[in-house]
Order: sequence, then structure tokens, then C-alpha cells
Amino acid sequence: MTAFGDAASTHAALMRGESALRPVPVLGGAGGDPVPMALMPGRAIDETNPPSWLGALRALAGAIPDGDWGSPERPVFVTGSNFGVGGLYALRQTGDAAFAAWGAPPTCTERLRVELGWGPDVSIISHACVSAHLGLIEASRALDAGVAREALVLSFDFLSPFVAGGFHALRILNGDFPAPFREGATGAIGLGDGAGFAVLARDRGDWVLDGQSLNNEMHHFTANRGDGSGFSGCLEATAAATRGRRVWYKGHGTGTLEAGRLEVAAAGRSFPGAPVVGWKGSLGHTLGSCGLVELAVAIESVRVGQTPGTYGRGGPAMSDCVAAGNFANGSFDGVVCASNAFGGAHASFLLCHA
Amino acid sequence: MLERWIQAAVTDDAGGEDPAATRARLKGRFPAGATRRMTTLGMIAGAALAGLDPGEGDAIVYASGYAESCALEAFLDSFPTPSPTLFQTSIHPSAVQQVMIGRQTPVREFLPHSGGRLIAFQALRAALLSPAPRVLLCGGEERGTWLLAHGLASDRTFGFAASLSRERPAGAAGRVRLAPADGAGELGLASLFDLFHGRSVFGGFIAPGWRLDLEWL
Repeated sequence: MTAFGDAASTHAALMRGESALRPVPVLGGAGGDPVPMALMPGRAIDETNPPSWLGALRALAGAIPDGDWGSPERPVFVTGSNFGVGGLYALRQTGDAAFAAWGAPPTCTERLRVELGWGPDVSIISHACVSAHLGLIEASRALDAGVAREALVLSFDFLSPFVAGGFHALRILNGDFPAPFREGATGAIGLGDGAGFAVLARDRGDWVLDGQSLNNEMHHFTANRGDGSGFSGCLEATAAATRGRRVWYKGHGTGTLEAGRLEVAAAGRSFPGAPVVGWKGSLGHTLGSCGLVELAVAIESVRVGQTPGTYGRGGPAMSDCVAAGNFANGSFDGVVCASNAFGGAHASFLLCHA
Repeated sequence: MLERWIQAAVTDDAGGEDPAATRARLKGRFPAGATRRMTTLGMIAGAALAGLDPGEGDAIVYASGYAESCALEAFLDSFPTPSPTLFQTSIHPSAVQQVMIGRQTPVREFLPHSGGRLIAFQALRAALLSPAPRVLLCGGEERGTWLLAHGLASDRTFGFAASLSRERPAGAAGRVRLAPADGAGELGLASLFDLFHGRSVFGGFIAPGWRLDLEWL
């Protein structure tokens, strides 16, 4: 679920070359520089009580298959970066204690658990923009070990002045619109609301996640090692799972320059000839949810047989492998999905038909 | 049943210690100048983790319900001109990143958890399901100020780290086993910390359908 709607609506909008990003004052009603944000319909980044994003999550949860989620055999993994942190911003700005209710990951998730009628086994995993990948890995391991029959991974991140103000302070969220994997004078990201879920089972389903891989550079909070080894160290394990397959690469591609160059180069080394796409120039960076949100769009792309190209207007592409336009994907038999995060964190996996 | 041997465990309970005193006590455990931007949680959990000499092949499972509460408070107080440094520092797994970036030590697998009444079980499950030869289970909390008044921060400061291996090491310190069974219970992070800190034997349910057996050798 993105500002465009569900996976099918999002895929269709990407195919039409549309962007959900609009200039929004960075602190919402409190003003500030206009920066590119993609908010779900009817939502502003100013906090409400209950949170304005709750309706979107309820709608998404309505599509989750019935089951005794949160029971010992069907654990839930809730992943994200921000949870209800916008409530803390509103609490500090207004002094209204009612905003505290959803403010911290444990309290936010517990309220959501009760709201959705889940049992108590609801893990919370928070590792910035690779959070969704970690939920998928932990769920996969529980299934592989036979300690779960099914697992639900839910991921969401909704924008607030807290997160917009933070990225604006880092100067990567600025007045420019993002152009992932394109050269330019300065890099820029956009931010977007996002939510998604996946139900994992060990021995049934239409899709398979393979070659799940992680790597953490631990080099700098907001920069990567200049030799690209952090990217390659992650992608090599996924590449081993792709042997014999023709894949396309769904990159992280936020719109920052150095990380974009390193990612494209590493993708070219690990998956020679694979077209590279990035969708955050249209959807915005949906932060901790991006791994699941973009997985859903990748699945829709394979289902429809058409992959949306890389959205964003800017200078020349960072590599010939960057696919600017849409392409038919019928001759491919796998998609590599990658995400990156603060601290030089990397995550990737191979998506393919069962 | 899931099982790992405890090679070593490091714990630090700040108790009623003033945060400034905690920081001063731990300052010498880090390179000169490194602690200026570190949080108290980064120092107390980081010192415990560093005591186990984390390396690239290790998996790190980190658990903290409220994480960098004081950095979060300060970041919120910095509006309308938010601090970029406090933004980075306030993000959930930064305590581990503070120490690992300081050491310039990459690590393949890093699984940061938050959570409430079942966080101990969930972090232990993640640790015991990891395929890594050595898993470093670490965590902690730092006492908040105005967030604590709203029930959104810990009322204690503590840090811990335990090295877990698949094979029994020479001089094993203990053993941890998780097994599905009929029964119910819960165990928060502070309670798990107290078990490690006191080297306390435990046998009982820490989540619905899951039993923990913790023994010290």
C-alpha cells in the first residue's frame, strides 16, 4: 500500500510514469521548506489522535488471510522504523498526553495487536530501512526450523514531522525531487507512506524467497565504504541463489548520489546484464516498509509481465544497466530485491515463482 | 527444542547511579573522544558487547524496548531546528552501531528487536534460530526523563551481552534451551537481564507455548 493505493494500483501508476511525490512543508502545519512527500489519500503529516494512518492499516489488515495470528504456531513479525513516533512529536509540541498512546514501538504495536485481534507472539523488529527484510528472514527461519506453521510479516511507516525533520536536517530531504540512479549536482530523496504484509509458509505458495542475505558495514552512520564492499558482501550471497536464472534487479535507489553509484556498480558485478530499476523517485522512500512494499510491486510486475522503469528526471544514468523505461519481463525468471539502511546495512533476496 | 551454550556473559546494572556517573565510569572502555556523541545506552550495552570482542562472522541480536530514550527526548526538544546528529543517534539500533562503527567492525547479521512483555522470548528465539556459529545476544535500556513520565521509557539503566555457541565450548558458562510446550508466561527485558546478571537458574514459561530453561555451569 502506497500513496497510489494497493500493489496493483501502485504498479499501474508506475507503469504510467506517475509520481506520488508533492511538495509539502517539512513540518506540516508548523511550516518549513517544501520537500517531496507522498502521503496516502486524506492524510497530512500532522499528528492526530488516534493516528490518521490507522485507517490505512485497518484496510490493509482486512486483506490478511484469517488465522490465529500471534499464536505459537503463527507468529507475527511487525517491522518498521518509526511506528507511532509522530505521536511523540505531537506530545512534545502540544503537551497533550493523549498523543503518548501510540508513541513508542512497544505501545504502538500492543495497541495494534489488540486492534487486529492477534495473540501475544508479535515480535517487533526495527532496523531503519532494512526492517522488512529482517522480518522476512526471521519468519523464514521460524518456518525452516519447524517452530511455526505460518508467519505473518507486517511492515509500515507513515510520515511525520519527526522523520521529515530528521532527514531534512541531514540535508538529503531538500527541495529537489529524487532521481534514483541518475547523476546530478546534488542528491535528494523523497519520503512516502508505505505499508505491506506477507504471509510465509514453508511448503506452499505461489512465490519463493531465496538467497536471503544481510550485511552491515558498521563504517559510518550515514555513509558507505567507498569500495562498495558493503553492497557486494550482501549481494554475493543472493547471487549464489540466482545461478542459472536470468534476473532483473529492484534496487534501493533513494536518490542519493554516492550510494546510488555504489549500488549500481555492485549490482552490475553480482548480476551482469541484469536491468536495474528503482521506484522511490515516484513512491518516495517508504523507509522501514520499503522492502515489503516494493516486494509487493515486484510480484505484481511479474504477475502482469511488465516491470516499471526507474522514475526520476535528472542527468545521465549511472550505468547502462539502469532501465529508464518499462520493460517486458517474461524472459526473466527471477527478481533480486535489495534494500539499504543507516549504518551501512544491506539486505537482499531472490524472488521467483514456486 | 532450540539450544545454545553460553560461552560468556557480561552484565552491567547501573542501579541508582547518576547517568553522568555511568558515563564517566564507562568512558575508559572506549577510544579517546569516541564517547562524546555516544548515548548512555550505547555506552553500557556497547561496553558489554565489546567485552565479547564481536567479529565479522558473528550474528548480533539486540533487544531494547525503548532504546535511546534520552537522545530521542533531546531530538524532540531540538525542533523547530532538529539536530541531524540526534536524529541519527535516536534511531532504534544505534546503541550497537555506536560501538561497532567505533570499532570499524562489519558484521554480517544484525537483528535489532524492540518489544514488551515477550521481548526476551522473541530475542532468544531470534538468537537460537540464527545459523551463525556464534551469536551475540545483547541489549539494555537507559532511564528516560520526560518520556518516562508518560510510560514511554525505561525506569532502569542496564546493559548485557552473552556469547552463544552451537557446540559446547571449553569452559562453558551455561546453557539456554527454548522448547515448545503447553503453558503460558512472559518475561520482559529487565527480567532477562536480572537472570543473566545474577547468574540465576530459570525454568519456566516465558511466552505462551514456549518454555525457557537457563542453567549456569
